[in-house]
Amino acid sequence: MKTFTYVITDPLGLHARPAGLLVKAAAGYSSAVTVATDAGKADAKRIMAVMRLAAKQGMTLTVTCDGADEEAAAAGLLEFMKNNL
Amino acid sequence: MGFFSSLFGKSGDVICAPVAGKAVPISQVSDPTFGEEILGKGVAIIPSDGKIVAPCDATVDMMFDTGHAVSLVADFGAEILVHIGLDTVNLKGEHFTVHAKSGEKVTRGQLLMEVDLEAVKAKGYDVITPVVICNSGEYSTFKTQVDKTVAAGDEIIRLAK
Repeated sequence: MKTFTYVITDPLGLHARPAGLLVKAAAGYSSAVTVATDAGKADAKRIMAVMRLAAKQGMTLTVTCDGADEEAAAAGLLEFMKNNL
Repeated sequence: MGFFSSLFGKSGDVICAPVAGKAVPISQVSDPTFGEEILGKGVAIIPSDGKIVAPCDATVDMMFDTGHAVSLVADFGAEILVHIGLDTVNLKGEHFTVHAKSGEKVTRGQLLMEVDLEAVKAKGYDVITPVVICNSGEYSTFKTQVDKTVAAGDEIIRLAK
């Protein structure tokens, strides 16, 4: 299992577009991926669950990747967040 | 349902237009998040009215506090996102009035939110409203009704597993 945290810098937070792109990025890995805030946890491969987090600028996301390609998933998703959130 | 209803193409579950306007293929949406179906398959509506209603009996999954988008889970299981206009998250709620809240049970045609279309257009935003089925991959039948004028409540998508 591989975990990292990321603080959202995008002033608009995790709205529909970045949520969709995140799901697409997570779906590229076989590992189970979850995204969590202080308020809740979501399967990063389910768009509705990710949007329901209503994650805003300044909030910390904890991303957990669990599976055969967890190293690559964690590295890839951290890069994704730096570029999109 | 049953043999005769499926024979006449009336089987399956129905998603209705959440707003009056012109229904068009979602590929016509310039934002690739929608146009390339990253969030799922759907239909887009070029709205002629600012009243956005529930597209079927459903539970509001998440009403964005900015009022520019809402996700719902239909009683029959479809996960629906209605996104009013493109990049309208930037308006931070201005020109949108919210009439339903997350977790609320709604019936088809119930008012969810209102938008001042002219004000949003005047600020340079495209008001095209994608209606996306986020779990469209779970359905083997996905029939859309596009390139026509619709009233809120008219069928736009029929789906079956």
